Amino acid sequence: MPVALRRDWLAVLARAGTEDLEDGLRRNAPGLRYEFLRRPERGMVMLRGRVGGTGDPFNLGEATVTRCTVRLADGGVGTGHVLGRNRRKAELVAVFDALLQEPAYRAALERELVASLRQQQQARRASQAAATGASKVEFFTMVRSE
Amino acid sequence: MVSHDSQPAAAIALPRPLSQLPLGFADAAADAQASFRAALQALSMPGLPLPCGVAAPTVPGLMPATVALLLALMDHETPVWWAAPGAAPWLQFHTGAPQAASPAQAHFAVCQLGASWPALEAFCPGTDASPERSTTLLVELASWQGGTPQRCHGPGFREPRSLCLSGLPPGFWVQWQDNHARFPSGVDVIFICGDQLMGLPRTTVVGNVAQGVS
Repeated sequence: MPVALRRDWLAVLARAGTEDLEDGLRRNAPGLRYEFLRRPERGMVMLRGRVGGTGDPFNLGEATVTRCTVRLADGGVGTGHVLGRNRRKAELVAVFDALLQEPAYRAALERELVASLRQQQQARRASQAAATGASKVEFFTMVRSE
Repeated sequence: MVSHDSQPAAAIALPRPLSQLPLGFADAAADAQASFRAALQALSMPGLPLPCGVAAPTVPGLMPATVALLLALMDHETPVWWAAPGAAPWLQFHTGAPQAASPAQAHFAVCQLGASWPALEAFCPGTDASPERSTTLLVELASWQGGTPQRCHGPGFREPRSLCLSGLPPGFWVQWQDNHARFPSGVDVIFICGDQLMGLPRTTVVGNVAQGVS
């Protein structure tokens, strides 16, 4: 499976709300059994930035993340990393990651859950960008002619 | 622009296949504390077999007490040297412990029953200034009984006691006498048999019963 595909659904799931994920699990895979390879645990990651996006990298600061790895009954393994301290959300992301790697679930889950989450997130980002863009101020200097 | 650092992600590359990877502790905090307690107890009462105190997960090629100690004591700062490295990916996944390139660089060494491992002097003895930097060996044994009797005494012994450990490589006790003589440097050993463990800190004096103890 292409890494880009998995990276994409993991990004969408990590940005989703916990309720949306709970709801998606109830509707798409009720009563699913899985075990914890790694129980949800919290840690820190260093966020790095570059001045202007292209300068030298610098450490911006640390962010709290929660990660989790689950294994389905048939041996499929999924992993979830989410920003923040929500253990249940990390678990749900890991479960969906495992399911999305299963051919039997992928198409349906992509259609029923991931696509709509992706759409919501894109819409939210677009409206945020529009709102921010509207407040943009152009600074310029008047040249005085004498 | 802010992006996640790609370094840590590369450092925790997942072992494959994950679908068969054995589990870690069922209750990480409580089980690690109980195992740590058992290790302290074993090293403070040398020569006594003690229970490891937890229900360790099953890991092929390792005894339950070894599993418990590894999960409790290892982290990303403790390079581990393996006599037989089959379980290294499992430990790396659950604790982040890297594999040591050589016995001399190991903070811990796992010496499974039946695997061959070098003489004690090959491991890191620490220095007189930093004796805590030495390697701690986890040595799996066939049985607490049946070996050549060795008389042990030293700190933690009320009176000398005889050990008859079986499954040790030939020459181990001679190496141990050299190890003891390096004090305060020297390695410590935790013997393991099934779900029991026994401490042998570098302070313990060991001599063959037939030769007597000086």
